[in-house]
Amino acid sequence: MQKNALHILLADDDEDDRLFFKDAFEEIKIQTNVNFVHDGMQLMDHLMNTDNKLPDILFLDLNMPKKTGKECLIEIKKTEHLKDIIIAIYSTSSSEEDIEDTFIQGANIYIKKPSDFNTLKKIINEVVTVNWHYHTSGLNRDNFLLRLK
Amino acid sequence: MKWIPNFNSSNSLRVIFVIAVFILLFLSSIAYKHNQDLNESSKVVMHTYEINIQLERLMSAIKDAETGQRGYIITRNARFLTPYIYSRDKVNTSFITLKKLTADNPQQQENLQKLFKLITQRFVSFENCLKYSDPKTYDKRKLDNHMFGGRILMENIRFKVDEMNDIEKTFLKTRLKIYDSEISLSPLFSISLFLVALCFILLAYRQISRDFERLKVFNKRLLISSGLIAESESIGNFSTWQWDLDADKIDYSDNQYRLLGHEPNSFVPNKATLLKFVHPDDKETFASYMDGIVERKQLPFVYYKIVRPNYEVRYFKTTAKIVTDQQGSKILLGINFDITDEHLLNIELQERNKELEKSNKELASFNHVASHDLQEPLRKIQTFISRVSDADKAVMSDSAKNYISKIESSAKRMRVLIDDLLLFSRTNTTKKEFIKINLNELLDNAESELAEIIEEKKAVIKTNKLPKLSVIPYQIEQLFINLIGNSLKYSRPEIEPEISIISEKVNSSDYPEILEQSIKKFHKITFTDNGMGFDPQFKETIFILFQRLHSKTDYPGTGIGLAICKKIVENHKGHIIADSTLGKGSQFTVFLPD
Repeated sequence: MQKNALHILLADDDEDDRLFFKDAFEEIKIQTNVNFVHDGMQLMDHLMNTDNKLPDILFLDLNMPKKTGKECLIEIKKTEHLKDIIIAIYSTSSSEEDIEDTFIQGANIYIKKPSDFNTLKKIINEVVTVNWHYHTSGLNRDNFLLRLK
Repeated sequence: MKWIPNFNSSNSLRVIFVIAVFILLFLSSIAYKHNQDLNESSKVVMHTYEINIQLERLMSAIKDAETGQRGYIITRNARFLTPYIYSRDKVNTSFITLKKLTADNPQQQENLQKLFKLITQRFVSFENCLKYSDPKTYDKRKLDNHMFGGRILMENIRFKVDEMNDIEKTFLKTRLKIYDSEISLSPLFSISLFLVALCFILLAYRQISRDFERLKVFNKRLLISSGLIAESESIGNFSTWQWDLDADKIDYSDNQYRLLGHEPNSFVPNKATLLKFVHPDDKETFASYMDGIVERKQLPFVYYKIVRPNYEVRYFKTTAKIVTDQQGSKILLGINFDITDEHLLNIELQERNKELEKSNKELASFNHVASHDLQEPLRKIQTFISRVSDADKAVMSDSAKNYISKIESSAKRMRVLIDDLLLFSRTNTTKKEFIKINLNELLDNAESELAEIIEEKKAVIKTNKLPKLSVIPYQIEQLFINLIGNSLKYSRPEIEPEISIISEKVNSSDYPEILEQSIKKFHKITFTDNGMGFDPQFKETIFILFQRLHSKTDYPGTGIGLAICKKIVENHKGHIIADSTLGKGSQFTVFLPD
């Protein structure tokens, strides 16, 4: 583990998606530290446990067993020491309702799971390298959903 | 409320009658008085006449005595003395009568007294004449004196009698004059009064006959309207009832009996009658409603069920209102509606609505399934294929490589299909929030969405100023994307696509067959392209879901795009039509309400 490495946490119940995610991070050659949780309960336990370092970016799937992504999002934003974590929604759904809801609840970006590995790599690269301070200050309903240029 | 015609004339009629009766009473009292006066005056005439006769008799008796005395003095025959002897009695009789007759007149009494004195003197003079003419006591000088004195006395008597007669005559004259003056004025007066009374009576008669005519007309109208009401009650399934609160009398209209399942007038309704028909479930509510009826002037509708004698349950709706009639008695007017048919229809509609809601929910959950669960495995297939790197492909057989590429294109097609289907169902199920927005803004968004293909095809899009409308923004944007995308997709090879978008305001009355007439103004937005066009016979079917005019291999598509357009326009209460000339271009016209 490298000291300056970016801490990434992915909460997703799908084993294949976790695999794609892991592979993609390995290929983009940025110093990162990627951890995985399998459901919402596990995610909240992980975050509440003070032994664990808080992630710099949390990739959050919406459709998860035990506790859904939206529930986790609301809880995180309510918790004082967690509310500043950058949250990227990472979901298959691209429904207006989901995008609207998570935007209102304070997520930083919405990523629709791509159906192409190379696109996934591009997306991850984009998200990891973005200047979050700048992005968050100019965040609005239109640039919330990530579109690759 | 003026529900009884006002016959004002009845009051004036009364006045006219009272006046006429008074005039007649007055006239008859005048006539009575005249009669009395006439009677009185004839009595006065008779009175004067009698006095006159008696005086004349008195006079003639004295004259008889004088004549008899003269005859006796000349002849000395005692037979001549007979009238003289009787004359005394006659004079006395007349005197008594005269005294009675003039009892009411002191002046005449006085005259009578004087006359009596004169007559007595005259008789003394007679005696003296007889005395001095007797040969035994004959004295010529004294006889002459007495004869002469008798003569003077006689004249005095005549004078007195005349005076008395004159007094009576003057009295008569003045009485007659008074009477005449009274009677001379009255005939004209009473005739005119009589005429006035007659006029009044005629006037009253005319008013009465006029009122009769009006009554007849009103009666006829009443008859017609009551017939009409009865007819409309039975057609409209409602009935009326009146409850005279003061007399506590309830009247049902014929249809009220029928609605309750009885023949008209088959029973006498009272306060408790209606409650007997009310369904046990609603008895309590209805009873409290009826109790509250009198305190409140106007009542809201009450809904309840009734049970007919044949156990049929009907649904009723009732309202009532208190009115006060011209006599000041309070009447409660009520209307009952039999709303069974509407009620049952309503229940059916509600059930259907529930079913619809249910199927809508199912559709929404299908939406979710499609968006998530169907896409999940597809996305994985695609991602796994993308993981097959070029290095892997190099060691594959040609057929394997071919299969991989087939899997890839099929998966891609499936993705488009799912996305389009989702889009289509979402245009129906997601929230429809109308926002007033400039359509040019939405068109700009659509163009930037299509920027890649516009650039690739070197397409030119010309547009005039689009209106600002209240729309569901993302749907209209989708509409623009689909229509422009369609034109770009079916452009003619070698020819750079040109799309013109023109908006104008039109009246719905100009398009009676396709536009909602309750909305007056529409915006007609026409999309014209120079593409390959289509056979105009398909201009209707082109909007049907999954209808495709081209083979999949020539033009990839799902046959959903235009169906989405139609749905979006319908969501906005608008209309979309298509027209085309094959090989020259197509025209899509969208009508959106102002």
